[in-house]
Amino acid sequence: MTKEQLQTAITEKLGDKMTLLDTGRHDLMYEVKRENLLEVCKTLKEDESLAFDYYLNSHGVDTKEKFEAVYNLASTIHKIRIDFKVILPYDSAEIESVQEIWPGANWFEREMWELYGINILNHDNLTRFLLADDWDKGFPMRKDWDAPGFIRMPEL
Amino acid sequence: MNGIIAFGELHGVFAWLYDLLVSTGLPQPWLDIVRYTALGAMMFGVLSLIALFLVWWERKIAGHIQQRFGPMRNGWHGWYQTIVDAVKLLQKEDILVVARDKMVFFWAPVLCFLVAFLAYVTIPFGEGLIVADLNVGILYIMAVTTFTAISLLMAGWGSNNKYALLGGMRSAAQAVSYEVPMVASILVIVVFVGSLSMVDIVNAQSGFLYNWFIFKVPFGPIAFVTYIIAATAEANRTPFDIPEAEQELVAGYNVEYSGMKFAMFFLAEFINGFTVSAIAVTLFLGGWHGPLNGSFLPSWVWFFLKTFGIVFLLMMFRWTYPRLRVDQLMGFAWKFLVPVTFANLILGAIIKYAGWYW
Amino acid sequence: MGGLKTEEFIVNMGPQHPSTHGVCRLMLTMDGEIVKKIEPVIGYLHRALEKICENRTYAMCIPISDRFEYVTAMSCNQVFSMAAERLAGIEIPERAEYIRIIMLELNRIASHLIFYGVTAMDIGALTPFLYGFREREAIIDLFEMTCGQRLTYNYIRPGGVSKDLPKEFVPQCRSTIAMIKEKLNDYEGLLNENPIWLARTKGVGYLDPKLAIAYGVSGPVLRASGIDYDIRRDDPYSIYDRFDWKVCTRPNGDTYDRYLIRLDEIKQSIKIIEQALDGLPEGNIKAKISPNFKPPAGENYARVENSRGELGTYIQSIGEKKPLRVKMRGGSFCQLQALPHFGTECFIADLVAIFASLDIILPEVDR
Repeated sequence: MTKEQLQTAITEKLGDKMTLLDTGRHDLMYEVKRENLLEVCKTLKEDESLAFDYYLNSHGVDTKEKFEAVYNLASTIHKIRIDFKVILPYDSAEIESVQEIWPGANWFEREMWELYGINILNHDNLTRFLLADDWDKGFPMRKDWDAPGFIRMPEL
Repeated sequence: MNGIIAFGELHGVFAWLYDLLVSTGLPQPWLDIVRYTALGAMMFGVLSLIALFLVWWERKIAGHIQQRFGPMRNGWHGWYQTIVDAVKLLQKEDILVVARDKMVFFWAPVLCFLVAFLAYVTIPFGEGLIVADLNVGILYIMAVTTFTAISLLMAGWGSNNKYALLGGMRSAAQAVSYEVPMVASILVIVVFVGSLSMVDIVNAQSGFLYNWFIFKVPFGPIAFVTYIIAATAEANRTPFDIPEAEQELVAGYNVEYSGMKFAMFFLAEFINGFTVSAIAVTLFLGGWHGPLNGSFLPSWVWFFLKTFGIVFLLMMFRWTYPRLRVDQLMGFAWKFLVPVTFANLILGAIIKYAGWYW
Repeated sequence: MGGLKTEEFIVNMGPQHPSTHGVCRLMLTMDGEIVKKIEPVIGYLHRALEKICENRTYAMCIPISDRFEYVTAMSCNQVFSMAAERLAGIEIPERAEYIRIIMLELNRIASHLIFYGVTAMDIGALTPFLYGFREREAIIDLFEMTCGQRLTYNYIRPGGVSKDLPKEFVPQCRSTIAMIKEKLNDYEGLLNENPIWLARTKGVGYLDPKLAIAYGVSGPVLRASGIDYDIRRDDPYSIYDRFDWKVCTRPNGDTYDRYLIRLDEIKQSIKIIEQALDGLPEGNIKAKISPNFKPPAGENYARVENSRGELGTYIQSIGEKKPLRVKMRGGSFCQLQALPHFGTECFIADLVAIFASLDIILPEVDR
């Protein structure tokens, strides 16, 4: 399956829920509305012409104005890749868990919660794992967070 | 022995020393006390040296199998490396676990170390070189070597550590399982000799190579192989070293031991390896006899040559094979070794009774 | 008969344990020798690499990426460079592509040799460990000769590679791979038919292909479960599509297959290297780019197949000289995540074998 075929298939199946972004290089990058996430994921995985069964990666991004939750998927059947992201406002950073669809999402979402403070709804084990168990110094991957004692060098 | 009496036999020296002792005019009980104390001290010294040598030798063999040199720094090819190591271990802090069972924790290495020496009371090192020729010799050895398992279980329990406990339990299970085929393969020899005394057993193998029990006894090679397998397990050596499996249980029963206590376990292990090899030589490979009728080397040299040969074999096993799993180990003992050795024993007894062998 | 009263107990395997390959802690709930439940506890090696990268220029991120997965540091360099090149639209000279392929495949062989040694050691055979490291040494010498480093190379950079190959590289590389090819017979002779090895690995730790896919397991572990998926072929990057090689799969999904597939892959890698050495063109090794290049705003998830599976790097740029976000994804992360779901109900010795066969390294998990 080529990228163009995938794009047509997406437009056909999920055209109203996924919008193509122009920021993606090399692979297609879509935007998904938060309320459509689970529905989109189910279709992506279960529709036979898409069959994205392989959950590669997901992570948060902090752009100083908003959070993005980025998902990278692949299909072992059609040998194709797709990315999509969900934009989350700063004040209500929470998102549905997709671990029902791809069990492998579990740890990635845990990390997203731990490092960015994006609350994952319906996650079965939202506990610390990369940071210390008694960590209480905030969410370290946020842009407004610096390590204690960290001095930012002046830009050259 | 009707061959040429070789130069360098040692039993004359001991007889002379004993005469010297008698000539002092000590009363009989004191005579025995002095004699056996001196012999005990001597055995202790010799065996400690052997253990130190074996540690060095194993490291050299491991090195050469693995395409490296092993210790090279201290002396010629690092010959006094283990002495340096032993001194280092003596100086080390003895780390004690707070939650240990004090008595058990302390006595486990001592027992392990002592028991390792006990077997040598009845092992003949050469012609006339035996501390005490007990008439239940081989039975005595089997009885005292079993104590090792108890000491390892004590170490596992006393450390109050889960890895150590698992190691101790494995050790107990393993000792119980492998004692059976080991004794069964030894009994074939006993049946043929008609005596439990080690000296009798060796004397029955005098003469040429074919008089050694590995060749003489029907199915002797089978008994020998099953004995070597069971003995490897008894001595806790790879592929049967599950009680201290480094990669699973870190160090098994001795995980909490350090310094001298660890050194005791360590040396005892090597002495045990030497013990089982010495028993194999005594029972199957003609003991102190050379391969020809009469020999050109002193009897104790033959004994040590053969014993180190078996030790070398055990070391080759260790550096070649992976480790068995605990259930496979037990299965192997009960499902394979026990039937084979018992069949061998029964067949041997029938053949002996009917007199069908040369 | 009431029977003995038994109870399950918890063993902390790690953080310091000989067979957890670094500082992973597995909390095992055990019933005697049987493992009932595994709970991996990670994070002991968390070095905040992603956060550090956000404060560095792209060129300065390359040495950071070395530390992400130091056993195959070349592929970490490669994946980061690829992501940056795709963002900035940099074309790489032909010679650089060939050198990259040679280095990546040599590094894969080196990593698989470590796997061979370490797995054998975890199953109790100590000698293969030294064998594996001996051949790896020859490969490391090649790297040292080229870039001066033995572990963290900082060699593959956005736009090409940092230094040209020295002129004695090609003959020495040929003799090294010829030597490894010959030594592979030793490896197979030592373990492949060994009855104890077979008893310890065959049928141990069966990983169901469905489970593997569901948990994102990748690389040799996935292919040992019978799934024919290799990023080098299915999402081609660099110039892998020019070479004649095949993706190895094994059907059984047990520890033994996971071991064999690594040996198969070493052979395939040798094939690729030989072809790449034959076709090595002359020319530039580096595209002309500014050290502080500013890729236009955009984002990209690049992925390569390294010896542990899928190695991915996501970079988002907002047109500055520093990336807005760097996310690194390693194969070990998903393999470790899947472990509790197929590594239970076995002996602790089996768990050690399974853990070793997944070839997890912890810096990749903890980042």
